[in-house]
Amino acid sequence: MLEEASEVFENMLKSSFPLTFIVFLPAVLILVSPLPAEAAHEFTVYRMQQYDLQGQPYGTRNAMLNTEARTVEAEVLSRRCVLMRLIDFSYEKYQKVIRQSAGAVVIILPKNMSTMPQDVVQQFMEIEPELMSTETIVPVYFALEDEDLLSIYEQTQTSSSSQGSASAAEVLLHTATANGFQMVTSGAQSKAVSDWAITSLEGRLTGLGGEDLPTIVLVAHHDSFGVAPWLSYGADSNASGVSAILELARLFSRLYTYKRTHAAYNLLFFVSGGGKFNYQGTKRWLEDNLDHTDSSLLQDNVAFVLCLDTLGAGDTLHLHVSKPPKEGSPQHMLLRELETVVSSQYPDIKFSMVHKKINLADDTLAWEHERFGIRRLPAFTLSHLESHRSAHRNSIMDVRSNVDVKKLARNTKIVAEALARVIYNLTEKSAPGDLQIFTEQMQVQEQQLSAVIDWLTSQPRAAQLIDKDSSVISTLEYIMGRYLKDIKRHYVKADKRDPEFVFYDQLKQTLNAYRVKPAIFDLLLAVCIAAYLGAMYMAVQNFGVLYNLVRRVIQPKSKQH
Amino acid sequence: MTLFHFGNCLALAYFPYFITYKCSGLSEYNAFWRCVQAGATYLFVQLCKMLFLATFFPTWEGGAGVYDFVGEFMKATVDLADLLGLHLVMSRNAGKGEYKIMVAAMGWATAELIMSRCIPLWVGARGIEFDWKYIQMSFDSNISLVHYIAMAAVVWMFTRYDLPKSFRLPVTVLLGLCVYKAFIMELFVHVFVLGSWTALLVKAVLTGSISLCSLFLYIMLVHSN
Repeated sequence: MLEEASEVFENMLKSSFPLTFIVFLPAVLILVSPLPAEAAHEFTVYRMQQYDLQGQPYGTRNAMLNTEARTVEAEVLSRRCVLMRLIDFSYEKYQKVIRQSAGAVVIILPKNMSTMPQDVVQQFMEIEPELMSTETIVPVYFALEDEDLLSIYEQTQTSSSSQGSASAAEVLLHTATANGFQMVTSGAQSKAVSDWAITSLEGRLTGLGGEDLPTIVLVAHHDSFGVAPWLSYGADSNASGVSAILELARLFSRLYTYKRTHAAYNLLFFVSGGGKFNYQGTKRWLEDNLDHTDSSLLQDNVAFVLCLDTLGAGDTLHLHVSKPPKEGSPQHMLLRELETVVSSQYPDIKFSMVHKKINLADDTLAWEHERFGIRRLPAFTLSHLESHRSAHRNSIMDVRSNVDVKKLARNTKIVAEALARVIYNLTEKSAPGDLQIFTEQMQVQEQQLSAVIDWLTSQPRAAQLIDKDSSVISTLEYIMGRYLKDIKRHYVKADKRDPEFVFYDQLKQTLNAYRVKPAIFDLLLAVCIAAYLGAMYMAVQNFGVLYNLVRRVIQPKSKQH
Repeated sequence: MTLFHFGNCLALAYFPYFITYKCSGLSEYNAFWRCVQAGATYLFVQLCKMLFLATFFPTWEGGAGVYDFVGEFMKATVDLADLLGLHLVMSRNAGKGEYKIMVAAMGWATAELIMSRCIPLWVGARGIEFDWKYIQMSFDSNISLVHYIAMAAVVWMFTRYDLPKSFRLPVTVLLGLCVYKAFIMELFVHVFVLGSWTALLVKAVLTGSISLCSLFLYIMLVHSN
């Protein structure tokens, strides 16, 4: 039967070439079906900030990366991608790397920042502004540590440190055993994003009675800032401020629904965008309201503007002013009420007023209230930080664990009590200092605050990442809409010819680490293979020897048969 | 890694075939087209095997890391078709025993080399990433050449009419070993959690011993009468 089959098969082969073609082509195609793509190590890396502010470039200017990896220990770093870990990162090392004209820098951050020792975090926070203060030509990336990346780092470290101090044989052996890594980013070069709109949100609670009621403006910016936009979660600055504002909106909207508690003050809530870029959202909002429209709450009778920034930690509260409030002004009233509330209800909190004049020569404004101060609106900022220079406000280390919801709730309550005392004029009605308005049903809800802050810090909210369709904006709009009226969006786009701010893309990329060997290794391998093939040739040539040997072993036996 | 690396791998994979072809005297017999035919038969048999596997062995959907012993065994059993194919090739060639064996084995192994190693080498070894597995793959192709020569010899012995009774059992055992070698290797790797280099070494030793055994039997058979 087999014979028949073979005959059929043979005939098929001989007679009809097309048939064989039809039979074998699919077979060939099946056999050579595409293989899974070669899996190199892949990481998500986050690029350092790149932006221009008032024509001044900041951050890294480059996004392309295709060089071999080294660690700082290596002797030659030029045109290499230098891997650094946060644990042993220092500004001196970074500068040394840049001076040696490295091709790129990848800084490996731990997956969970809160596990880092506090001094390392503190040190890095202080370095962060330094990294961005000047423009860097080479790309600087941040990666989150995982096992693969750590093993790459360690292998690179061993090969980097053993360079230059070994004999030729050692180097040869080393090339065979050790791995080099070629780092390649998949994305394109970074380019300026045109027409980027920064979104701010406005909402109001209208007071009871009359046309010409005084207005209290409550402001907090919603964006975050850090050395890498995709890593800036901005928990304390300024998710805490936004959640406090939303809680205040909730509390006062409840008060304003009842006629008996409907005060004769308009409350204007403003959640501004671009706060970390010189308060662009606030600036445009003021221009729109003061210069372009005829009737606006901001134009007439603003009692004061209270900006909230970094309220989520610490046992201090500082009221930052650019001009000490005059006796008898509503501004002074709030200051006095804040003092009363703190001293009578929370005596363990240190409250103080910090006076700092607006310095127009500075590149950036210190606090948000200065935007209002420039436009001659009475304004101040409440924060637990004593100085605007604190690295806390602009760091990727500002994550959720930095915010203590209890303290945030307490600070929110202080603001709410003081505001209530102002708008209901309680001091003149000789209410005691420890009278608590926001208790029981009206109390500040910690769950509410923590839910908002959890949500806000679950995503990076750098100004470059939040466009007008982003879920952050729409959700904020929705929450504000629940409590406030006349919710409006305000967009800021940079001027085309003379842009005040320019953002760049390619902030998040995929980094491929390919295992590579030096060229000398290929030569070495070629020599080894040639030797092997030579041995192979000898073996096949002299196969007869083996054959005869086996035969001699067997032959006596077979003779005996 | 580079084109050079690809060249290295290719040389390592192909030169032993070339050397064997030249040194075994097949070139003098004008056996090239016979080898090509053997290769074609290889393709045909593989196609049949694949159709069979696809029809009767749907993909195993067990949990990851679970070794489907019976399923793998059944799949290895399908490799019996290889024996049939080799026999088909040898039965079509008239000539001395060693000539038949060599033609069948060379054609078979070369077809496998071209079909299953050429493309991965071209795609992988030229890529930017370096991996030892392409060198290993090349070594593996050398081993499979030896394997197929031994297998063809065993098949040839098995199908001889004048096979003495006493040979029947060892030849059958060797036949079984040849067919289930891949399965046994897989089992080894799975049970002892071998690294890729160790697995290669084990494979080489296993193949070497199988072929030595078949050489013994072959010599005994050829020179006994």
